[in-house]
Amino acid sequence: MFRRIWSLVVKEFIHLSNDWWLPAFMLIGGASELLLVGWGTSRPVQNLPLMVLDQNRSAASRQLIVSLENTGTFRTAQQVNDMASITAAMDRGQVTAAVVIPPDFSRQMDSASGQPGLFVILNGAESTPALAAQRALQGLASTIDERIVLRRLNLDSEQFSGFNPSLRVWFNENLSEALYTTPAELGLMLEFTVLLFAALAFSRERELGTLEQLLVMPFSSLEIMIGKAIPVVIVGFTDFLLMLAMIHFAFSVPVRGSLPLLLVLAFGYLLVELAKGMVISVISRTQHQAFLLVMLVGMTDFMFTGYAAPVEGMPPALQFFANFVPAHHWLEILRGILLKGTGLDVLWPHVLALMGLGLVIGIFSWRFVRRALD
Amino acid sequence: MSVRHIWAVTRKEINHIFRDRSTLILVLFTPTLVLLLMAYALTVEIKHVPLAVLDYDQSQASRTFVRQITAGQDVDLYAYARDMDEITSLLMRGQVKAALVISSGFAADLQSMKGLPVQIIIDGTEPESGNFAVQHIAQSAEQFVNTALAGQLRSAGISAQSLQPLDMRIQTWFNPDLKPRNDIIPGLISMVLGFPALSVALTLAHEREHGTLEQLLATPISRTGLLLGKIIPYIGVGLLNVILIPALAIAWFHISFNGSFALFFGLSAIFLFAVLSMGMVVGVLMRTQAAALALSFLVIFFPGFFMTGIFFPLASMPEEMRLESLSLPGTHYAIITRGIFLPGVGMDVLWPYAVMLAVLGVAFTALAALFFRKKLG
Repeated sequence: MFRRIWSLVVKEFIHLSNDWWLPAFMLIGGASELLLVGWGTSRPVQNLPLMVLDQNRSAASRQLIVSLENTGTFRTAQQVNDMASITAAMDRGQVTAAVVIPPDFSRQMDSASGQPGLFVILNGAESTPALAAQRALQGLASTIDERIVLRRLNLDSEQFSGFNPSLRVWFNENLSEALYTTPAELGLMLEFTVLLFAALAFSRERELGTLEQLLVMPFSSLEIMIGKAIPVVIVGFTDFLLMLAMIHFAFSVPVRGSLPLLLVLAFGYLLVELAKGMVISVISRTQHQAFLLVMLVGMTDFMFTGYAAPVEGMPPALQFFANFVPAHHWLEILRGILLKGTGLDVLWPHVLALMGLGLVIGIFSWRFVRRALD
Repeated sequence: MSVRHIWAVTRKEINHIFRDRSTLILVLFTPTLVLLLMAYALTVEIKHVPLAVLDYDQSQASRTFVRQITAGQDVDLYAYARDMDEITSLLMRGQVKAALVISSGFAADLQSMKGLPVQIIIDGTEPESGNFAVQHIAQSAEQFVNTALAGQLRSAGISAQSLQPLDMRIQTWFNPDLKPRNDIIPGLISMVLGFPALSVALTLAHEREHGTLEQLLATPISRTGLLLGKIIPYIGVGLLNVILIPALAIAWFHISFNGSFALFFGLSAIFLFAVLSMGMVVGVLMRTQAAALALSFLVIFFPGFFMTGIFFPLASMPEEMRLESLSLPGTHYAIITRGIFLPGVGMDVLWPYAVMLAVLGVAFTALAALFFRKKLG
């Protein structure tokens, strides 16, 4: 039996070496893409265009503008003279935020009970930068508040610690974007690599009419399936190792938990995705169909990895559905082991869910393949 | 290059797609279906964030503070923890996304106006919920301090607002509640309309893989005509989705569409030309469909998803990356879709992006024709 499976694996590798572009893309493509994407997107939201309409033109207003620039979120403020410029720039999407400093700003600052006003306009046409700008502005406002309160109530800054709660971020002390974006990006690329490769396994043979030839040979359906699966697993797992090394060394994503446990679970997750890909593969008549199904399945799964939106904020029906998405559990495991350093004692529900899903999808997939091949 | 020849190739391609009903349905509706799924998943309203509290003070004031924080729907009290170990374990397991630690001098410090000795801990692995809890707690803390110190302040002759003297008013234009889906869904149109480009790459490689390209070349059809004939059906597929998607976004998801639909349709056609030409380049380069697919994922799909400014702002990308972003049709088109959907701007604002799309389209088509001639010349 093993000899027969081996000969099938050899056949698959001959296919691959005939078109060496494919394994090259599958292996190096994922890792280099992750490097590019990670480099582009793994930084704090910064350098946002800011406009200031300073109607006060005092020392206090200039100091405020400097503080705005010092938040690190904005680039050097562009000063304008009227509201019309702000409106035009907003329409054109050229600014994320505009701050209007009213004429009496410094007077109100200096008076004992004055309320210095600030008018802020955010450009909601792009919510990610707008939300970052909002956070930066609110943070600055509470700092200014505290400074004024200290002065007005004659409090000792040594004694007064402020009325704002202090904040600590665990598992990601510097709130580095890379730590929560790159694992999800790795997840997406790994899933698509494995799904696509597996989905093409049978649809390709069927489209080219070589499946019949394979069937008349003395292989059982299980042997054919295993023979098809081994190259996918080898390529997928190598791809995972490359990408893991990439996010660890290039983006300083730590591995705080047990690396062997991560590798074992990654292997298990690959098998689940492989089984899904096999189902797609046998129900598709052409590679085109297989590709379109991979898009549908892969993009659906990606929504539950927490990249675009947190799962715990989704409508209840979708949160329930997330339990049946292997990628959801896999990302919890990946983040848990990499960032939190958790082990099986904490992750067992996700591991169990992944195993259960794997078993169901695996059996389903095997029966499907057998029926399609016999 | 004759129109009749191009039409013949187009008809052949349409026959290919129509021959199999499931392929037809998938080709036609995958973009809209994926967008629909994503739109649902993006309907995120962060509410009921589970919070653990470790109260070292155990005073009347600290209990009132916790009750005030957990009163609404924003933050829920998950558990009172006994010690830091319990907090650690709750955060590790992901049972809470944020924890509040109240120091032992809470009531005393508050009364003597020394400050508010509390600390919030959030889970930094998925910080959205944690950040939300922080904002909520900070707001509650403001109110709490104002109420608690009202008497003292009055006797000192200061009004209650004096603790937050700065009167900052924030107004958000175009998307008043700052809901991410209002701009991410229009942006994602550029990603899903890229799917037909992958189909184009596939069908071109399909001819090579099956050895039918030689037959086509033996006919009197010119090479450019062949390429154009191949992409026309997919421009049709794209345009169908250009009608379906805004209809769904407006009717089903109540996303406002403030611009001109005719303009949206016209600019979408230019975008489709540009992105499908990218698919042509890939399809001409690769000999098998599998390789064409793998390459299209690397140069069309993943960059179209991550590098076009849909999720991560272009302004914050490294300088070198921005150059790559600008060479992707999706970047310009995402600016166009957001501009037409939200501020409802017109051609006076959008023309540079439209010009860029046209330039990219012509450049990619020329590149495809060049490779095509070279490979088969």
